[in-house]
Amino acid sequence: MITAPQRHIVFASAAIFLVIIAIAGLTSFGSGALERTMIVFLVSLIGVAGIGVYSGNSGILSFGHVGFMGIGAYCAALLTLPVPLKTATLPNLPSWLAATQLDFVSATLIAVLFVGVVAAIIGAAIGRLEGSAATIATLGLLIIVHGVTIGWRDVTRGAQTFFGVPRETTLWTAAIACIIALIAARLYRDSVSGLRLRAGRDNAIAANAVGINIQKERLISFIVSAMLMALAGSLLAHFLGAFSPKKFYFTDTFFLLSMLIVGGMSTVTGAFTGAVVITLITEILRRFESGFTLFGFEMPTIFGTTQIGIGLIILFAMFRKANGLAGLKEWEERFFARDISPPNAPVAARPVEERTELQASGLVMQFGGLTAVNDVSLTLKPGEIFGLIGPNGSGKTTVMNMLSCVLKPTVGSVKLGEIELIGRKSNQVANFGIARTFQNIRLFPDLTVYQNVHVAALSTRGGQNAEARTYAALERLGMLDRADADSGTLSYGDQRRVEIARALACEPTLLFLDEPAAGMNREETDGLMETLRKLCAELGIGILIVDHDLKLINELCDRVAVLNEGKMIAEGTPEQVRNNPAVVEAYLGRSA
Amino acid sequence: MELFLQQTVNAFALGGTYALLALGLAVVFSIMGLINFAHGELMTIAGYVLMYCGLAGISFVFAVPLALLASTFAAVLMERVAFRPVRNSSGATMLVTSFAVAMILQVLFQNLISVRSQPVLLPEALSGSIMIGGLVIGVNKLVAIISTVIMLIFLDRFLSKQKYGIAMRAAAEDFAVARLMGIRANTVIAGAFAISGLLAGVAAILWVSQRASVDPLMGFTPVLKAFIAAILGGLGSLRGAVAGGFLLGFIEIYLAAFLPPALQEFRDPIGLGLVVLVLLMRPNGLLPAASLKAEKV
Repeated sequence: MITAPQRHIVFASAAIFLVIIAIAGLTSFGSGALERTMIVFLVSLIGVAGIGVYSGNSGILSFGHVGFMGIGAYCAALLTLPVPLKTATLPNLPSWLAATQLDFVSATLIAVLFVGVVAAIIGAAIGRLEGSAATIATLGLLIIVHGVTIGWRDVTRGAQTFFGVPRETTLWTAAIACIIALIAARLYRDSVSGLRLRAGRDNAIAANAVGINIQKERLISFIVSAMLMALAGSLLAHFLGAFSPKKFYFTDTFFLLSMLIVGGMSTVTGAFTGAVVITLITEILRRFESGFTLFGFEMPTIFGTTQIGIGLIILFAMFRKANGLAGLKEWEERFFARDISPPNAPVAARPVEERTELQASGLVMQFGGLTAVNDVSLTLKPGEIFGLIGPNGSGKTTVMNMLSCVLKPTVGSVKLGEIELIGRKSNQVANFGIARTFQNIRLFPDLTVYQNVHVAALSTRGGQNAEARTYAALERLGMLDRADADSGTLSYGDQRRVEIARALACEPTLLFLDEPAAGMNREETDGLMETLRKLCAELGIGILIVDHDLKLINELCDRVAVLNEGKMIAEGTPEQVRNNPAVVEAYLGRSA
Repeated sequence: MELFLQQTVNAFALGGTYALLALGLAVVFSIMGLINFAHGELMTIAGYVLMYCGLAGISFVFAVPLALLASTFAAVLMERVAFRPVRNSSGATMLVTSFAVAMILQVLFQNLISVRSQPVLLPEALSGSIMIGGLVIGVNKLVAIISTVIMLIFLDRFLSKQKYGIAMRAAAEDFAVARLMGIRANTVIAGAFAISGLLAGVAAILWVSQRASVDPLMGFTPVLKAFIAAILGGLGSLRGAVAGGFLLGFIEIYLAAFLPPALQEFRDPIGLGLVVLVLLMRPNGLLPAASLKAEKV
């Protein structure tokens, strides 16, 4: 399912189609040398887009994908290699494989599927690593694949050249494959999985809180991208006719990665830009490599001019445009705004059906020797606003983190009706009807406001009516007119509102707000209070609110609990709590 | 048994070199989140200084400090020129920058020095061997082990007793807070690079003393291994880097010694497979960095 406006997808696909056809068409009038250069360009472009599907959307740079290209190349080549040649050059091949000879297209399809399976296994293992550790793990993957290819002589001829592969890759096959790959990459970017993955890239903790299982989406993108790499590999194998494991190692990895990075890894526009720029520069510098004459001076032969050129361009790009030449947006996203219109069949905001209470009892949280929360019990009811206050460091946020399964308490239980929440993953909580905001705003800054909220709607309650729910949540918080802005560019108060809208799009029974009024002025705070009251009255949502603004707590809350040094020292109506001597002491100190 | 002990000595020598490299990477990573691809080129620089000193007839005793000085200086220079402009960028941006630096340096070595491997003059004593309790141990292996131990002790002292060392540890735990406490970012980062350059220099000397040659890509493979050692130990954790380096050294040497001949060709994949197994059980590495747990929600 695609989350982008139809218009974007249509324009993007049409542009990809026309540009690639135009490139291929123009090339077909050129020389044989130009044709070879362009085939390599198109195949590289598939590879760059393939790596981008994983690295761009997940934010994890991968050095391992050329390994998948290698597997795809060997796999497809083994299937198309003529049987007599196979028996001559690879005598120890298993007989079923030795006797098989397929046409180029079926061999490529099988190779792509095979690599998909391999990637699923590898991705499941690598998926547990985060950030830079994951990047280095992919580096390990490249070395492993290279090592196995060299070692497995019976099948791959080891380090020797694997030859005799029919040269089936023509300019037009490469062009068609490239169109398919680029459109696939573009569609993945704005698929539900791609959008979720980008949300996870921007902020993992917030993504979990709206029900996104990042590891799952990462695995999907890993498989899709590996399959695209296999396509590129098969094309390359049937273009070259002869190759060795060295072809799928560091040199080509760096070449493809430099394209991806210079262009910008999070878009297909960037992949294309990078491939064009690096190919052009390589072609130009290659002419200089063997020495040339400049104004009568003989320039010496400089070995590796292309590498230095590419290196300098990467440095320039990183210093000046760290997100790549194309930036973070596709071209069509820059030119055409998203129309946000009310849903055709306006879905009435779903009132809370389950009248289940959340009961926390005996929560204790120890960080090393420090007891941050000590034996706290509380009950949250739908339709009620519950305030949690206390001096700094009294454990309010820690309690909220335990209730939303971000932290696992040392001791204690949190029950939603009959369901025990402790021990569940934080990405499951949203589907139990608990949504939250964060003390330090955690939006997905590179996604638009609409996407921030939409991804939450798509990832909870089975994603039903996601668009209507997104619209309703944005409308309630008054963010419709900023819906197409990048959420990272909004003012502080607006960012808080988007965070609440995002939580609301999960259609929660219970909404946890961690200092929602921080950074808001008086009017904004009053507006927020009005909104929250309405949520409670109209939808029957229960709200747990942590804040320092005592005016807000007093006016808004039905019940208030006070924490001090990890212990609950009072609970009751705001009135009762205000007059409680222990509370007065905690806030103002003991009177002499 | 004797073979086993012999190989254990080898494992300590190789693991120690990996540990020094991984430690150099970890010192920088823990402070600024950069995985320095160009760390290997620091090694290569130290290697070339040794080579030129040999050609110029400078005694090895003086060549070693010169080589260390060169790699340390090169590391600080590298930070100033290439990494300062991207200091506050994402990890990926910094990693890519360092990868471009590595690429440019490699081509420069190829053009300015030689594409081919160059011999390095080593003192006779290094190639000898001595008998300890029935074991024949190469002097170079022994030197490697002793140097590693000295470096580790020196670094431990520096980080726990010296003002700059403590500042660096503070910066590694929480750079923002360390700066608020009056620790200068430039000083700490330059210091971290100096240490990583020094460690790369020591590793380079140990590496060259086993091989007696240097080429433009000399640093590439060992630093690749050091990357893996660093995640095996726990990225950003200094003790983890040392542990990961030694463990990787042991895995490689024992596989080379005890794997049946038919499987020898798969040595690298099997070794890395073992590393992956360890990581599956401990995704944050053997001794995870403290900063991993500290993220506030």
